Amino acid sequence: MINQKVRPWLPWLMVLPAFSIMLFVVILPIFNTVFKSFHNTSGELTLENYTYFFGSAEAFQSLIFTAIVALAVMILSVVLSFLLALYLRFSKSWISRLLGKLYLLPRFIPGIAAVYAVMNVIKDSGTINRVSMSLGVDFKPGLLYDIKGIILCNLWFSIPFAAMMMSAALSAVNDSYIESARDVGSSWGSILTKIILPLTYKDIIVSATFVLMGQIGAFTIPYLTGPNNPKMLGILLYQQAATYMDYERAAALSVLIFLLCLGGAIVYIRANMRDEVWERGK
Amino acid sequence: MKRLYYGLGKKQFWEYLLFIVFMLFFYGPLLNMVLLSFAGKYEYPDVIPQSYGLKWWDYVLSKAQLVQSISTSLILAIVVTLVSLIVCLPAAYALARFQFKGRSLVRLSFLLTNAFPKMGIYTAMTVIFYKLDLVGTFAGVVLVHLVNTMMFMVWIPSGSFRTVHIQQEESARDVGASPLRTFFSITLPMAKPGIIVAALYTFLGSMEEAQGSLLIGLPAIHTMPSELYGIIMSFPETAGSVFAIILLVPSIILLIIFRKYLSAEALSNGMKM
Repeated sequence: MINQKVRPWLPWLMVLPAFSIMLFVVILPIFNTVFKSFHNTSGELTLENYTYFFGSAEAFQSLIFTAIVALAVMILSVVLSFLLALYLRFSKSWISRLLGKLYLLPRFIPGIAAVYAVMNVIKDSGTINRVSMSLGVDFKPGLLYDIKGIILCNLWFSIPFAAMMMSAALSAVNDSYIESARDVGSSWGSILTKIILPLTYKDIIVSATFVLMGQIGAFTIPYLTGPNNPKMLGILLYQQAATYMDYERAAALSVLIFLLCLGGAIVYIRANMRDEVWERGK
Repeated sequence: MKRLYYGLGKKQFWEYLLFIVFMLFFYGPLLNMVLLSFAGKYEYPDVIPQSYGLKWWDYVLSKAQLVQSISTSLILAIVVTLVSLIVCLPAAYALARFQFKGRSLVRLSFLLTNAFPKMGIYTAMTVIFYKLDLVGTFAGVVLVHLVNTMMFMVWIPSGSFRTVHIQQEESARDVGASPLRTFFSITLPMAKPGIIVAALYTFLGSMEEAQGSLLIGLPAIHTMPSELYGIIMSFPETAGSVFAIILLVPSIILLIIFRKYLSAEALSNGMKM
């Protein structure tokens, strides 16, 4: 870290272009949204836009629905990806090495194309149904346009993402720690809880918050694979803006969703800021 | 099943099972899509097409608007990546190297915007852009894409710049290299892996962005993902698969070219502060 004495304006000059674009495309629209959310169409100050959502049964349903989807996706992807990451880290077989390369791909597939690919498999006339027909049963999976469809499609993206974060964390767990614990006779269970989890829990929290925050305002997946009713919050927001053209209410809903995400952001920042004793001075 | 279980041994059996489930879940849908795109005859309840051909490729490539959206998307992604590089790298370097007033504010603003719902930002942007005549223009869509990609381009390279030791820059300066030369021949090459990962995220982020492009770009600018929304709703799955595969190709090519830079460590760098 340099304390620039010669040209104190230099860092600001370097940050300026990026920051001014940021100001224009993100911060200005956000201020605009917050401002608008407290006004009605004729420009008078009001809380009406907020009270509308607090009194609306549809919005409440959406909130609950979103919470269920977000928590389900978070828990499933954290558990499954942690297991996957453990397997990738500690197995030396060729399957493990191959999967270690293959699991990164979904991160780079344009979301909408992958959702479409999954839709073609899980829809009631899709591949699963056709395979069952060739076995002589007409099994309709009933996954698409349902909460299960949303969760399934999300897992397609979030498991590789979380597994990637956790693999990176697990690579910091030295083989020698494990070996010495084995030498003194620890079971795998206590190695997991006493060595691996303490070294990786921060990254688990960070990836869990990312997955959770991504769900709260999500649009593409619920729009394409979710049911018409109840809707996720992202869809409700889209509807307010695009269908009803009610920009003031849409603005208020944006702010509410932002506040929900802020809770996640605080967990994220705290997990990142908390330095362990042994990490200080690094 | 039992014979397989004992024949392979317990450990191997579970490993093969994991492999099969993994491949079916993550790669099955993609493979299925490739098969569908080359379908000739595909009727219910065929599991895979009965005959193959290029008929749906011809069909999709005969639609002028779709073909145009391919080049629009590619040009957009390249422009967005270049603009992000030029604008964000200096900022990333400053955040990594200098202690200055407002530094944590800048860092926080880049982070917090990620918590605000994108749809809310886009709607507000549409209103502002409308006043500035940016709706329906190429520049407007570039700006929308920057909303999503700037955070990567500041965060990841900033982390890489921090790993370049300041002594290495200082010794270059001591033997008389100018600050710019030091940056281009010492710092930049060492931070290259991180910058490549950030550029990949930016390119792919631009390739897959749909809602912002729909709101700001229409009626004049059509991108591949925004066209795909319509296709999913109204085209048969065989034609949709063709277009979805065209959308995948640039990403796959880039992944193959830059595969040596893509490790779990490098990729998850940008997610932490």
